[in-house]
Amino acid sequence: MSAKPDDTPFFIGWATPDRRLWPFLIAVAVMAFVAAFSVSYLVAATQDDPGNGGRMGPVQAVGVLQTQPYPVLHVLQSEQLAVGTTVLLMGQGKNGVQGRADPLDGQIVRVNGVRLNRGELNGIILRGGSNGVMVADGEVEGAMPVTEDLGRWRLTGEICDGNCLAGSMRPGTGLAHRACANLCILGGLPPVFVATDSVGGSEFFLVADADGGPMPDEMLDYTALLIEAEGRVERRGGMNVFLIDAASVELAR
Amino acid sequence: MSVKYTPVQWNPNKWVYDAVLLAIVAIYISVFLRLGAAEADVSRPIDGAVLRMRAFGTCAFFMLSAILCIGPLARLDDRFLPILYNRRHFGVLTAIVAWTHATYVYNWYFNFSQINRLEALLSSNTAFGQILGFPIEALGVFAFVILLILAATSHDFWLSFLGAPLWKRLHLLIYLAYGALVAHVALGYLQDTENPTFALLFSAAALGVVGLHVAAWQVGRMRSAKGEWVAVCAPGDIAEGRARIVQLGPKERVAIFRYDGNRFSAISNACAHQNGPLGEGRILDGCVTCPWHGFQYRMADGCAPAPFTEKVPTYDLRLEDGQLMVQRHANPPGTAVDPLAVTGMEATP
Ligand code: FES
Repeated sequence: MSAKPDDTPFFIGWATPDRRLWPFLIAVAVMAFVAAFSVSYLVAATQDDPGNGGRMGPVQAVGVLQTQPYPVLHVLQSEQLAVGTTVLLMGQGKNGVQGRADPLDGQIVRVNGVRLNRGELNGIILRGGSNGVMVADGEVEGAMPVTEDLGRWRLTGEICDGNCLAGSMRPGTGLAHRACANLCILGGLPPVFVATDSVGGSEFFLVADADGGPMPDEMLDYTALLIEAEGRVERRGGMNVFLIDAASVELAR
Repeated sequence: MSVKYTPVQWNPNKWVYDAVLLAIVAIYISVFLRLGAAEADVSRPIDGAVLRMRAFGTCAFFMLSAILCIGPLARLDDRFLPILYNRRHFGVLTAIVAWTHATYVYNWYFNFSQINRLEALLSSNTAFGQILGFPIEALGVFAFVILLILAATSHDFWLSFLGAPLWKRLHLLIYLAYGALVAHVALGYLQDTENPTFALLFSAAALGVVGLHVAAWQVGRMRSAKGEWVAVCAPGDIAEGRARIVQLGPKERVAIFRYDGNRFSAISNACAHQNGPLGEGRILDGCVTCPWHGFQYRMADGCAPAPFTEKVPTYDLRLEDGQLMVQRHANPPGTAVDPLAVTGMEATP
């Protein structure tokens, strides 16, 4: 009246005690390989387009330097940039160029660096030291463009750092990139508001506080998020500036 | 080496197991970087560092999801048990993949700044009061630290040093890590993607983990015994030196062993080491020997022979109308229970 022990070999440390399990385990392994292949392919192949921003090679330009809220150049002469373009001036890495630009505010300068472009948005990563920006002695005539008041606006959009947005990093926007954007802005790089609508032909706005100064640090809590903000919009040369009332900012979703 | 610490040796099964795991990771990463990324519809290429952080990050997420599915799968279907065995290697490999992801993030997003990288990591986003915009890096670091602690304590030394109950409780932290990881992805990359493919795969994985746990719990409850005493089988149906396994609760199984011809004892089916199936073990040197790593327990009291100190719960047995019956409620681990000697069966000396 005794059941017979089955004769499966027993040894300590088995993973497959029964040979009859092998086909099953091999099938599991094959399915895991197929799953790894297809999941990986699907995730990688459906990544979103980071946009057409990027580094466009070396650039030289002469123009009028304006340092508030962040340094920009109103181009008077350049082979790579159209006259009348206004470009963001930025340093290497996550560093702004206020220190170098401030003493030259309002003057006609020559800049050297690498051009960044994303649609309407232009930037130059300046070369180091005075090679990057220097006074242009009487080479070109020109004056600071007049500021045009476009009135008060309530706009929906996202605050990005101008450097990564324009193509230093791809992608250079979004929540996964948020801490990086904050570091850029803390380092003095210009924040840019990307609006869902355009004003005066551009969806990009250089961000200033209500008085036209640099963006206050509290606003860093709103970077990379879809927000609504109110303030005056000015057209300075080829660039929109959005003078945001900090109190008006709220999440749009 | 202390007497309490019994290292588990390498064996061919582990090599195969690890080779399969490594192949899975290699397939995932190379397909992502070589095949998939080239097909993405982009106006200008995505940065290499970002591609790599996405490849390793999503790989670690899917690996952790798979790890958490193994437990309930094995409870639903015994054939998955060999995959549970050695799951620790799976966990350690996941920690390494996650580490690679973190390294790319750290050296990309937090680099190129005047601020030192660690300070940048801690200070660049402090919006802890927000849901959208929450510092996802903190969630990622939290999950990663847990993975590291678990990987570091996965070795048997820690199991015997901390004791099995504490070790297992510590390793339940994996669920906390998974929760943080889900939030890390859901509040970060998922918000940035317009194409729904990743969102679908991500939710399928997370819901799969939850669904399998619920299903295993339900099925375990359905299979669970009702009443104080649970019928096992006729004594003669159990082969000498072997056991019959009976499900008592959703996560509780008992193994009833026959030995010395007519003696029967019942101990928990879960080995104190790694929950190995004691009921599939054999009796060697008068002790139940776990088939996974060879831990041994005395039949009479569920204790490992000296100098070891592991214990498993024991159960009372009785005979009723020619059927073995097991008491539904376990005795505390290490409780001595006299073996049930069935008269009329032949005893072997
Ligand atoms: S699970 Fe490792 S010896 Fe039992």
